[in-house]
Amino acid sequence: MMLAVSAATLTLLLAWICPSYALYFHIGETEKKCFIEEIPDETMVIGKYRTQLWDKQTSSFLPSTPGLGMHVEIKDPDTKIILSRQYGSDGRFTFTSHTPGEHQICLHSNSTKMALFAGGKLRVHLDIQVGEHTNNYPEIAAKDKLTELQLRVRQLLDQVEQIQKEQNYQRYREERFRMTSESTNQRVLWWSIAQTLILIVTGIWQMKHLKSFFEAKKLV
Amino acid sequence: MFTMYGSIRVLLQVLWAQLLCGWVLGSELTFELPDNAKQCFYEDIIIGTKCTLEFQVVTGGHYDVDCRLEDPDGTVLYKEMKKQYDSFTFTAAKNGTYKFCFSNEFSTFTHKTVYFDFQVGEDPPLFPNENRVTALTQMESACVSIHEALKSVIDYQTHFRLREAQGRSRAEDLNTRVAFWSIGEAFILLVVSISQVVLLRSFFSDKKTTTTRVGS
Repeated sequence: MMLAVSAATLTLLLAWICPSYALYFHIGETEKKCFIEEIPDETMVIGKYRTQLWDKQTSSFLPSTPGLGMHVEIKDPDTKIILSRQYGSDGRFTFTSHTPGEHQICLHSNSTKMALFAGGKLRVHLDIQVGEHTNNYPEIAAKDKLTELQLRVRQLLDQVEQIQKEQNYQRYREERFRMTSESTNQRVLWWSIAQTLILIVTGIWQMKHLKSFFEAKKLV
Repeated sequence: MFTMYGSIRVLLQVLWAQLLCGWVLGSELTFELPDNAKQCFYEDIIIGTKCTLEFQVVTGGHYDVDCRLEDPDGTVLYKEMKKQYDSFTFTAAKNGTYKFCFSNEFSTFTHKTVYFDFQVGEDPPLFPNENRVTALTQMESACVSIHEALKSVIDYQTHFRLREAQGRSRAEDLNTRVAFWSIGEAFILLVVSISQVVLLRSFFSDKKTTTTRVGS
């Protein structure tokens, strides 16, 4: 009985100094925070967040804020919205990219009452995992009944797959870069030719026009 | 006796589970830093954990940003101004909240995209209930070394991708600028040459009228 109680208190104590999601930042009430993830296609992204509200009375951050949600909006590289949902104070969102490129993950709170942000700060713990980091290996081992060696090889396979996808994406990006450079090259070439032509044509026109003008004025 | 054994087992499992908290996955984020803005991130770290902060500016201006890392007492562990890319490793000397900030306050109108990777501790082990009593077999240690090598390959790939993104955004900027500039300059050329002729004509027209008036 005593041990159970001490185990419970130890858990609570360690849970306080060991939050589940590590990194956090502060966000204002109407502030929108966006994060960019440049990923190849068919890559899974899992995002987890947890919010805490500043409590003036206790001068500390409350563990959780019921009633306060976060709106998550995810845009694909063509700025098309692929996910736009409201989650609670603790949320988990996941999506798989279908086009390679820069995806934008935006978070903002859905709070309408100014009173909630009396301290002006909302603490958001965020954890975004991409690609092979989304795999939960203990779960996979239990489900497929893999030995330790098999699991390690599985992890290596996933890593190599991610590297392969990234290399593929790199080839596509390099192609785009090359197209942009060639287009710039073409444009500079055409522009210099066009400008020379314009200069020559306007020069000739100016001289002809002025000559006829002066002849008309009997000055030449 | 049976209940005591059960409780001890529970306590050990709880301690083991909490010990795993020492292994926290790294956070890797890319965010946009507007001009004259400062963005801070915080993390609670346990004493003795080896941490690495790596950042790189992806787009914007001269690709530089101010970075500052403070420990729970406010002592500055790392401070660099206008740095393009850097990596800083430290071992946490105190328990508590470590804070690192990126500042773009020196810039008036360029906003920057900053990538950072904050690794805290080691990666979590594949098997939570793994007993490290027996040494790893040759196969397992080979797997471990391949895993580490692949992790560094992925890290290099990330940095390469960011550099490529930098180059690509500059090239796209250049492309649009050349397009606008060429159209603009052609227009200016035409306007200037026509107005030159019109102005010259106006000079001569006025003189003509004055001479005739004086004559008569």
